[in-house]
Amino acid sequence: MLLNSVIIILREVLEAALIISVLSALSQKLHVSRKWLIIALLSGLIGAITYAINIKVVSMALDGVGQEVINASLHLLIYSFIVLLILSLKDQSNHRLMVFAMVSSVAIAVVREGSEIIVYIDGFISSPELLLPIIIGSAVGAGLGISIGVLFYYLIVNISLNRAVKVGLIILILIAGGMVSQAMQLLIQADFIISQQPLWDSSSLINERSLLGQLLYALIGYESTPAPIQFFCYAISLIITIILTTLTIRSYQQRPEL
Amino acid sequence: MKSIRTYLLVALLAIITLVTFVSLLHGYQSSISKAQQLFDQRLRNMAEIIAIANQDIQPRVDGTFNQSPTVFFQIWSSDLILLAHSNNAPETLSTDVNSQTNYDDINFNGYRWRTFSLKDDHLNRWIITGERADIRYNLAENVVMASIIPIVLAIPVAGLIIWVAIGLGLKPLTELTAQLNNKQADDLSPVMMQNTPEELTQLVATTNALLERLNAAFMREQQFSADAAHELRTPISALKVQLHNLKSAQQIDEKELQPLADGIERMGKVIEQILSLYRHSPDQAMLKQTEVDLCAIVQQVIARGYEQIAVKQQQISLTGVQHCRIKGNQFALETLLQNLITNANKFAPEGGEIQIDISQTNSMARLTIEDSGAGIPENQYERVFERFYRVNGDQHDSGTIGCGLGLAIVKHIVAFHGAHITLNRSTQLGGLKIVIDFPRRIEG
Repeated sequence: MLLNSVIIILREVLEAALIISVLSALSQKLHVSRKWLIIALLSGLIGAITYAINIKVVSMALDGVGQEVINASLHLLIYSFIVLLILSLKDQSNHRLMVFAMVSSVAIAVVREGSEIIVYIDGFISSPELLLPIIIGSAVGAGLGISIGVLFYYLIVNISLNRAVKVGLIILILIAGGMVSQAMQLLIQADFIISQQPLWDSSSLINERSLLGQLLYALIGYESTPAPIQFFCYAISLIITIILTTLTIRSYQQRPEL
Repeated sequence: MKSIRTYLLVALLAIITLVTFVSLLHGYQSSISKAQQLFDQRLRNMAEIIAIANQDIQPRVDGTFNQSPTVFFQIWSSDLILLAHSNNAPETLSTDVNSQTNYDDINFNGYRWRTFSLKDDHLNRWIITGERADIRYNLAENVVMASIIPIVLAIPVAGLIIWVAIGLGLKPLTELTAQLNNKQADDLSPVMMQNTPEELTQLVATTNALLERLNAAFMREQQFSADAAHELRTPISALKVQLHNLKSAQQIDEKELQPLADGIERMGKVIEQILSLYRHSPDQAMLKQTEVDLCAIVQQVIARGYEQIAVKQQQISLTGVQHCRIKGNQFALETLLQNLITNANKFAPEGGEIQIDISQTNSMARLTIEDSGAGIPENQYERVFERFYRVNGDQHDSGTIGCGLGLAIVKHIVAFHGAHITLNRSTQLGGLKIVIDFPRRIEG
């Protein structure tokens, strides 16, 4: 039970922690007040609790695949806001748009990952003999996820602005690609997209359930058995964000160091 | 700049958590697999004991053995007839006895079971023992958990200890900051630290070298002021006496001597003003601040300069509060007021008016001086505070000798008191309006 809860909580926390740490590090480097983070976290938390409370209604909706569809939409929303953020970073004069994109992507990530954690732990409240391993496992998973987030944050904060923007955007591109890939997987689960034979099976190389597998899952959307459509959408989303990011990074290189 | 202490705490804690938890997970996994090996061994032992203790070679008529619900056993003859079994065991052959491995995992009765099959060659039969996998796993996990919980709980404790340790480590830095902060403005003695840590040695050495150079510069300046005051005043006094003697000699026309007299007068003033400027520069921290009454100082300065005002038949008024206590240097404030009132007197026409007003709130005192002169063009408000700058090149018709240092000195004194000065056009009198806001630090 402990290992299961470590993996589930780590997966959720790591994804949110990476988005939060990259965005708050970038806003520090760009001298943007980090008040937005508090707003994003609070609204995300409220959203997560509301979603978790109504999870039964949601999962019954759309012939029982409501949860998958809503989660897929949340992933796609996070992707869109990351794209919006990259666009607003390019033209930094549009400060409001940038903060809006940051608040939205963090808040939605917290709603998605937070609700999952609440629902998971809530499922074990009624079985006290399992609660201790679940709680310890969750603490370990959360500790790992937050630690990795913190280290990424300090990595970005302690390098020059040009590099910070580059590293931050590269991480964001990969996370955004992972969001699209996860959305596709959820839509396959919901039978919205026809399931096909996986393109490959790399589970013997990197197991999805290992720590490295989890880190790669959160960071680049690693999947040991990806469906063709999943891989295709992942690649498309990466290409879009990479083109946008190249333009953004170029606009930063023309700018003197802040 | 962010706090070094917070950065170190968070970064260290993150690294410790990461390393500890990763190794904890590895430890967990290997402990669980070790425990599984142990349980497997127990299952095998159980089968061996049954093989020795039970001698059945014919099926039992009276049926079954009572057994704890988490383990079961079966005894099969070589032609696969069930000879005996525990009451919770399946009635069918639960595992493939001919497979290569003795251990197997099966599903039965809604649970997953771990089984072991033993070939009893002596009586030519099979003994199969089984144990519930979830119970084994929970048991193993409970054992491992006992060693994991303290590690997880140790992380916040480690955080607390790291916080304190970093605080202790940064103590020399806080001490250095405190020493520099607590230094009196005129205290340029070197920073003394006991056991300066290696990282701060250079900083302390550089700071002390800087303080030493600063001290030497101050000493030189003080020496210069004193020397200059003495060495320059004396010849001017001598010149004045010589001029007086020349005038009394009556051999030279007094009108021809007038430019000489003006020149000497002007030189004397310039020297006084330059010395005053140096005495009052804001970084000249030798001046002590005490609590003074601004109103009293204004009254004194007016009284002292009244002769000049009376000569021009000007009206001077002092309005506002009766007492206004601020923290400042008496001598510097006198100089400030003298310069401002002299200016007003100089620029206001004959029969003109000078108004002085003092008001106060809890946090500040406001001194306002207005005159009915021509005022200063707005675009020159900033420049008049520059040294040796004279409005319109001193082409005004005040007829008074000026050297362009008065307002530069005023600016120094204002800055020294942490006050704020603004220039404006007086709406009432039409001339210049000077407003100075002094902070009032009321203690006690």
